[in-house]
Amino acid sequence: MRNQFKDTLLKLAEDEPRFALLFGDISVFLFREFQAKYPNRFYNLGICEATLISVAAGLSSQGFIPIVHSIAPFVTERAMEQIKLDLVYNELPAKIVSCGATFDYAWDGTTHHAWTDTGWMRMLPNFEICQPGSKKETDQLLCHYLFSSSSSYIRLSDNPHGEDINDITPGKGIILQDQAADLTVVTAGPILKNVRAALDGISANLIYYNVLKPFDSEPLQKFKNTKIKVVHDAFGLFEAVCENIDAPVKKLGLPDRFCCSYGTIDDVRKLAGLDVESIRAFFLKE
Amino acid sequence: MVSLASPRSVRKNILESSHKSGHGHIPTSFSIIEMVLATYGIMNHNPNEPKDPDRDIFILSKGHAALGYYCCLAELGYFDPKIVHSFGGAGTIFGCHPDRVKQPWVEVSCGSLGHGIGVGTGIALAQKINNTNRQVYCLIGDGESNEGTVWEAVMVAVGQKLDNLTILYDNNQSQSRCLQIRKPAEIFSAFGCEVHEVNGNDIDELQKVLSLPVNGRPKCIVANTIKGYGCRTLVNDVFAWHRRSPNEQELNQLLEELDA
Repeated sequence: MRNQFKDTLLKLAEDEPRFALLFGDISVFLFREFQAKYPNRFYNLGICEATLISVAAGLSSQGFIPIVHSIAPFVTERAMEQIKLDLVYNELPAKIVSCGATFDYAWDGTTHHAWTDTGWMRMLPNFEICQPGSKKETDQLLCHYLFSSSSSYIRLSDNPHGEDINDITPGKGIILQDQAADLTVVTAGPILKNVRAALDGISANLIYYNVLKPFDSEPLQKFKNTKIKVVHDAFGLFEAVCENIDAPVKKLGLPDRFCCSYGTIDDVRKLAGLDVESIRAFFLKE
Repeated sequence: MVSLASPRSVRKNILESSHKSGHGHIPTSFSIIEMVLATYGIMNHNPNEPKDPDRDIFILSKGHAALGYYCCLAELGYFDPKIVHSFGGAGTIFGCHPDRVKQPWVEVSCGSLGHGIGVGTGIALAQKINNTNRQVYCLIGDGESNEGTVWEAVMVAVGQKLDNLTILYDNNQSQSRCLQIRKPAEIFSAFGCEVHEVNGNDIDELQKVLSLPVNGRPKCIVANTIKGYGCRTLVNDVFAWHRRSPNEQELNQLLEELDA
């Protein structure tokens, strides 16, 4: 998805002089072509995530579309107050594009895991949160949300779900399966991969989101009389579903403890109970 | 140098507004007055058109000195000085910290410390990209400079060679009881700023250094000020008066001291 981020920015920058890229000394080599082509629109400002956000607010006040990029926990958690005040309260919109979603950097340990970001950011008013699950969705969401009038968070992952989902309108949830089943599964982003595998042989409806806020409640309404189960490797989807439907909702999400075993994303997902077997057991449980 | 504004008149309004509203950090508001008036005296700004697209930018990063800032703006003709008496009251736009969402003359909402200078760095960078001559002035506190983000922003401003950014450092010794920054001029200089150290309660001294050209790096004015400058009672007991409003008797005494 990070490669797609680069390709999409190269494509869009040709016709958009307002872009100003502010990088926290990450992905700089990847963006070398962008930097060479647009030297006064690319700034590797250093490892100072809070200030990247503040600088973005300043650029935004002067009519630019600032795009801040760094590793997810650092550019969100460390810069939380700058995001809340400098961007959102000041009404100085910027775009935050992160890499290293949830357990992408499993081997790096807890310091590099990002799982609170979508949960607390959804509490910010007039703020958009995207969790693309593929390169195609990354392109689609960037093309839309980079031009929106609000601040947006676009959370890239190195572990796409592997599906080619057609006909997604940015901001809309999509019904991937409608089997008129008693069970409706709701999920978002890359964990769709495990959800699909876990659903093998189980009759269920399946709703997929790649935008957590603003939340599109329409697909949910169709299944409001079914059992609803949410699977998410971050926070925010379950809360959004509960707020938008008058029905009991069950959740399989992250446990109330740190999940650090190094290895691969699959190793840590297993530790967190988000591996295929655990998800399947959740679906089969009454 | 242009500044017909009277620091004494600003101080009088601060005292009266605090008395009427029951709000305000008076000593810190008193220490910034000459800096604000001196800077607006050389800035391109228009009280009748606060959003003039060619204006220079002023940011009060140490937002708790808002009462002092508002009274300076009133003195400069932005609004009726008496409006500031609504300070902090329900429904007013004059909250106890500057708010750009509510006030057209405020560039950045500040209150949580260590934010304004980062945003100011971004505004200065935008002027470089757009190749304008607009200047950015950011007034920060010595207490505020306990925040690490101040130094992040200074490093970025130096790294980007933002010679259109002037940092006004209110060296009013506010942190003498905890984390005092000793030798700030040397520190800003070591970070790569062009540093001038002046009496920050002297408009002429301030305007002399504000007007000096600078090339390729931010300017930092270490302004040695006195908290509560102008009233003996405040200067003698700054911690007791940190966030306290005078009753009628105290107001009269402080007004008398202003005239002394």
